[in-house]
Amino acid sequence: MKQLLSGNEAIFKGAIKAGARYFAGYPISPTSEILQQASLYAEENPEFRFLQAEDEIAAAIATISASLAGVKAFTATSGPGITLMQEALGWGHVVEAPCVFVNSMRVGPSTGMPTQPAQSDLLQIKGGSAGDYYPIAFYPNSVEESFRLTVTAFNAGEESLSPVLLLADAFLSHLYELVDLDAIEVTVVPRTQEPLGSGQRLFTGTAHDKLGNVKTNDPVIYREWLAELRERHLRVAEKYPLYEYLPCKKAETLLIAFGITSRIISPLRERFSIFRPIRIYPVLERELKEMTESYRHIIVIEGNDGQYAGWTECAIHRQVLRVPCLGGGFKLQWIQSQIEERLKGR
Amino acid sequence: MIDRSYKDLLKMRRFPHTWCPGCGIGAVLKNVAMGLREMGWDYRNTVIVSGIGCSGRMGGYMNVDAVHTPHGRPLTAAEAIKTVRPDLNVVVLSGDGDLASIGGNHLLHTARRNPDITVFCNDNEIYGLTGGQAGPTTPKGTKTITSPRGEHYQPLRLNRILTTQAPYFYAKTTVYHLNHFKTCIHEALRYKGFSFVDIISDCIELNGRRLGFKTAHQMFKWFDQRFHIVEGVRDHLKDDELGIAMKEADTLPKVKVEVSEKPEVSLKDLKPFSLEELASFDGQDGKPIYIGYQGKVYDLSTSPLFQGEKRMRCHLGGKDLTQEIGIAPHGEELIFKFPIVGRLKE
Repeated sequence: MKQLLSGNEAIFKGAIKAGARYFAGYPISPTSEILQQASLYAEENPEFRFLQAEDEIAAAIATISASLAGVKAFTATSGPGITLMQEALGWGHVVEAPCVFVNSMRVGPSTGMPTQPAQSDLLQIKGGSAGDYYPIAFYPNSVEESFRLTVTAFNAGEESLSPVLLLADAFLSHLYELVDLDAIEVTVVPRTQEPLGSGQRLFTGTAHDKLGNVKTNDPVIYREWLAELRERHLRVAEKYPLYEYLPCKKAETLLIAFGITSRIISPLRERFSIFRPIRIYPVLERELKEMTESYRHIIVIEGNDGQYAGWTECAIHRQVLRVPCLGGGFKLQWIQSQIEERLKGR
Repeated sequence: MIDRSYKDLLKMRRFPHTWCPGCGIGAVLKNVAMGLREMGWDYRNTVIVSGIGCSGRMGGYMNVDAVHTPHGRPLTAAEAIKTVRPDLNVVVLSGDGDLASIGGNHLLHTARRNPDITVFCNDNEIYGLTGGQAGPTTPKGTKTITSPRGEHYQPLRLNRILTTQAPYFYAKTTVYHLNHFKTCIHEALRYKGFSFVDIISDCIELNGRRLGFKTAHQMFKWFDQRFHIVEGVRDHLKDDELGIAMKEADTLPKVKVEVSEKPEVSLKDLKPFSLEELASFDGQDGKPIYIGYQGKVYDLSTSPLFQGEKRMRCHLGGKDLTQEIGIAPHGEELIFKFPIVGRLKE
């Protein structure tokens, strides 16, 4: 049966489909609807637990702790909330807690422009917490895909034993579309981690060896641990090389866009080829290299000042042109004129 | 014969531990382990949650699943674990800096939500692990490395903060008053709800020596001078009292919702105003300010926005504002607060 759902609703339903049993959050536009739905769902389903925390720090810590305690857990927030959750994100990678952090982006820095859509948290989710870690992040561009990728994010979390980020934007969160959820087939990866209360382990954010003993001055153990973390994350990411490629014959220019921007520029596919990365992190380096090879110009259109363009340049070792859609301005006409301007005389 | 079976609860292979000789944490660890043994709790049904700091390391020495959270977050983590796994006994072992300073917000809100967890706070009145900086519970006038001429501010009084909102269980004891200390641990573990044991403990190396104490024992004697035990269960504890403060839930009166309605005034009985007459009541020359709205005339003289000025931002006095208010961002309920003095002539 088809139903009219918003991006936020689809994300929540996706999480339930994936088997989530815990939600902790703090009100913030544009993801407050997920918090609201979770509170209602918890009233009706006693096996689902809900916490409206005192701040995003607590929400993120509670999510990871619930995951360690043995249930699938998730939280949802926006850019300013993710800033507060960075501490927990780093911790979650070290204590190996599978969970999902939904980040629906709005214009920043700080409070920014509530609530205009943006895509400007790419750098903060990549490495906002202290130290090295290798987050996995997905970014849908439709309500249906929000549902599907939420399940994928939970699966990737279970496989990589870490918090996985599901990106959205204020636009997508509040976008209503007709979807038939029953027709969407998804596979759900079950939980493999032993829950708390079944051993004598230490889940610590401090560097430790495989037995859980704290080792704070041994570079060899640390290097081994980090190499394993990296290898595990890259291996799991390899299973989800998600992207969409819309080639246009004779086009000399490839447009790269993701999330809502890719929806907005879709009328341009008559004239340009379009590449849409769905897995934002780890960056689709091999795919970017292959796709961009045959094009004279690459233009990255995104809701920030060149965050993904930078990653693209790193991956393909070529300069790319940038069209930053800032301050919530995502007008197709404007984007089109900017593309023309960039291509003038080239 | 001394019962040493509590040692099963300690990871003896990890000894010698990391703490300085003379530190009070050893006593806390041992007595908490004895308390758990007395309750018959072990790795199958107990989880220790700890924060950052010297006292946060206690979790790593316990032979149960332990969660070592980022600084200040053990309470949130413990609450989430207890929420999703009510079958587990959750015990928090942490320090005053962690719980009361960086985790102060979580302390207030976790206490408010009253989960069934037990908190043991090793309150040594200093930041020990980071080198002896003034902490939230450092008494006024104490010299530390960040208050070289004496701490300027009053310490945080946990005995008052944690006993404001019933139900509560707050016990204060010291590592010196051993029997009292054991009683407090035992009572706190048995209490159903959020129980907090404030254990005044010594940090001889980074606090005591600067204060002039030669040995830990001298600090214990100092505790004996500063505090005295009060018998029985109290409602509140004074700053120099050791004991148990406990209160059952208050039944607060429910917030009543009362909607007051103004009696309807028949239009016919009101004094008629023409638009010209109305125009003269614009607040100038000491006249009242009248405005027309939906056929009625309201006296806005008492409005703080109109006071002393004939206009406030965009609305003028002495006019029919029906259309203007229709498009204004505020609603008509602002107008209805003011007295009706007449009606507008057709």
